[in-house]
Amino acid sequence: MSEALLDIKDLTIEFGSGSQPLRVVDNISFAVSLGETVGIVGESGSGKSMTALSVLRLVPEAARVSGQIIFEGRDLLKLPKREMPAIRGKEIGMIFQEPMSSLNPLMTIGDQIDEAIRLHEDIPAPERRKRVLALLRLVGMPDPENRLSAYPDQFSGGMRQRVMAAIAMACNPKLLIADEPTTALDVTIQAQVLAMMLDIRARFNSSILLITHDLGVVAEICERVVVMYAGRILEDADARSLFSNARHPYTQGLLRSVPTLNDTRKRLYQIPGSVPPAGTIKAGCPFRPRCSVRMERCAVEMPPLRTYDPGHRVACWATAEAAA
Amino acid sequence: MARYLFFRLLDMVPTVFLVLTMVFIAMRILPGDPALVALGPNADGGQLEAFREKMGLNEPLGLQYVTFLGNAVRFDFGHSLMSDVPIGTLIANNLPHTIYLTIASVVLGLVMGIPFGVYAATQRNKLPDSALRIYSLIGYAIPDFYLAAVLLIVFSLNLGWFPINGEGSGFWDGLHHIFLPALTLAMLKSAFLGRLTRTSLLEVLGRDYVRTARAKGARESRVIYRHALRNAMLPLSTGIGISILATLSGSVAIELVFNRPGIGRLLINAIQERDYPVIQAGVMMFAFFVILVNLAMDIVYLIADPRIRMKS
Repeated sequence: MSEALLDIKDLTIEFGSGSQPLRVVDNISFAVSLGETVGIVGESGSGKSMTALSVLRLVPEAARVSGQIIFEGRDLLKLPKREMPAIRGKEIGMIFQEPMSSLNPLMTIGDQIDEAIRLHEDIPAPERRKRVLALLRLVGMPDPENRLSAYPDQFSGGMRQRVMAAIAMACNPKLLIADEPTTALDVTIQAQVLAMMLDIRARFNSSILLITHDLGVVAEICERVVVMYAGRILEDADARSLFSNARHPYTQGLLRSVPTLNDTRKRLYQIPGSVPPAGTIKAGCPFRPRCSVRMERCAVEMPPLRTYDPGHRVACWATAEAAA
Repeated sequence: MARYLFFRLLDMVPTVFLVLTMVFIAMRILPGDPALVALGPNADGGQLEAFREKMGLNEPLGLQYVTFLGNAVRFDFGHSLMSDVPIGTLIANNLPHTIYLTIASVVLGLVMGIPFGVYAATQRNKLPDSALRIYSLIGYAIPDFYLAAVLLIVFSLNLGWFPINGEGSGFWDGLHHIFLPALTLAMLKSAFLGRLTRTSLLEVLGRDYVRTARAKGARESRVIYRHALRNAMLPLSTGIGISILATLSGSVAIELVFNRPGIGRLLINAIQERDYPVIQAGVMMFAFFVILVNLAMDIVYLIADPRIRMKS
């Protein structure tokens, strides 16, 4: 495996104070290598978006973040606050989930992309304009010359997400974080945006950290997958072995819940129960209440992430017992 | 855009018409005989009759109404009963002072209120935020005439920094004279606008596009002034409109306390002297002022917000 570009170690994010803080991300560790595309999969409330935001230190002010987020050898969490803007947009670009509300309604598309360049690079306006046009072409915007002076409200969700991608890629960042980039879009537009991301990856050779709840999206573009549940990592594997040989009962359940075209069953499988609200699981494995293979030990002690095959980590007592 | 403006102006016609009609009715249903009130109890029958004839009060009501409308449209408000000066002249002499006071107090109020609101929003729940809360509370609670008197006593009578009354002559002297009256209104405006700025800015700071600006690498000052405040100004401009209109009621007291010429003082004097045509004209001026400020605010919205511009 090549050198890690982003190495997250023991990341914990908590809200509230006193003896009972709300822990939305609980002691997670994973890495993204140069040029690698890693997907974080999880349901709403699994802490995946908070994890993504914490890399750029954009979590809400009330959140307490501990652990290490090492990017190119520097711990971003230890960096003085005033040094973060130089990293945001320049070294790490980010695309958000809500294309409809993530662009400033009072600024033209051209100005918003241009700003992303101007904030980090001192180049004359005509050259910036050329770069903006090139970016718009890259993200598949038709007729970019005439779109520069348009406002976000004149665009559809898919087009706005393309503009967001152009902003994120404006300074050719080493890492692109995409937080549910396709969730708010129609299925056909989703496919277009995914194709665009594959295109971006091919041209820039950027690493991508993709946050999603959609296993289809993961299968499409990710090389490695981190499965999160209630703030913890339950499984971390390369995409191929995850889809062919999922070891955690939660991941297995997720894969069984994906509809297929030649499915003859009347009802789609679903994992019983729902994700526990953050902070309600005090001890043991957070998936235990919904798990079909739970054991007594699961209620007492959170299973550690154990490496099985090279690069395949699973946090489950039942898996450990089966392997032993 | 031109089309929108045309229809917006067309929209004003019924409003103006309604205002004129209400003024006409109000003046006619007031108790008492205008002639008797105007000439006093010592006037004899002949004088009263001559007065009614002169003012057209003997005409049928419908004809009076039409004449009234016709004169109003031509900005002919008749003559003052007390001084016999044409009302157009009275307004021309007084209106500029009120407009001047309005502009000075609004500019000062914005300069004081908006930065205070921004500072409070960025220091939420800290000392500056509490300071703004207390300042606003006092601003909401204190009557304008009282604040005017306090400022007058402190800065003019005791410290002697500012003239006690009058409007001054020349630009700089005028500015010296207008400072305290404008400050009085501006303090009340900034209490309102500061609070409003804080609220709208906090709301905008939670928006997704503000997060996008931060994710691009914009520094906090740029995030606030270039992205957030511009968006917060939209709801704020409605508040500024309200605040401009509040100058009208404010000017009545302020012009009296500081003994400045202006529409407010003209109106108060006219009411004291039962100078009906002047009251009528003064009320209409205030109504037109409200209509014009509303129009101006609509145009500001149109210029500032591309979403509204696109729709119209």
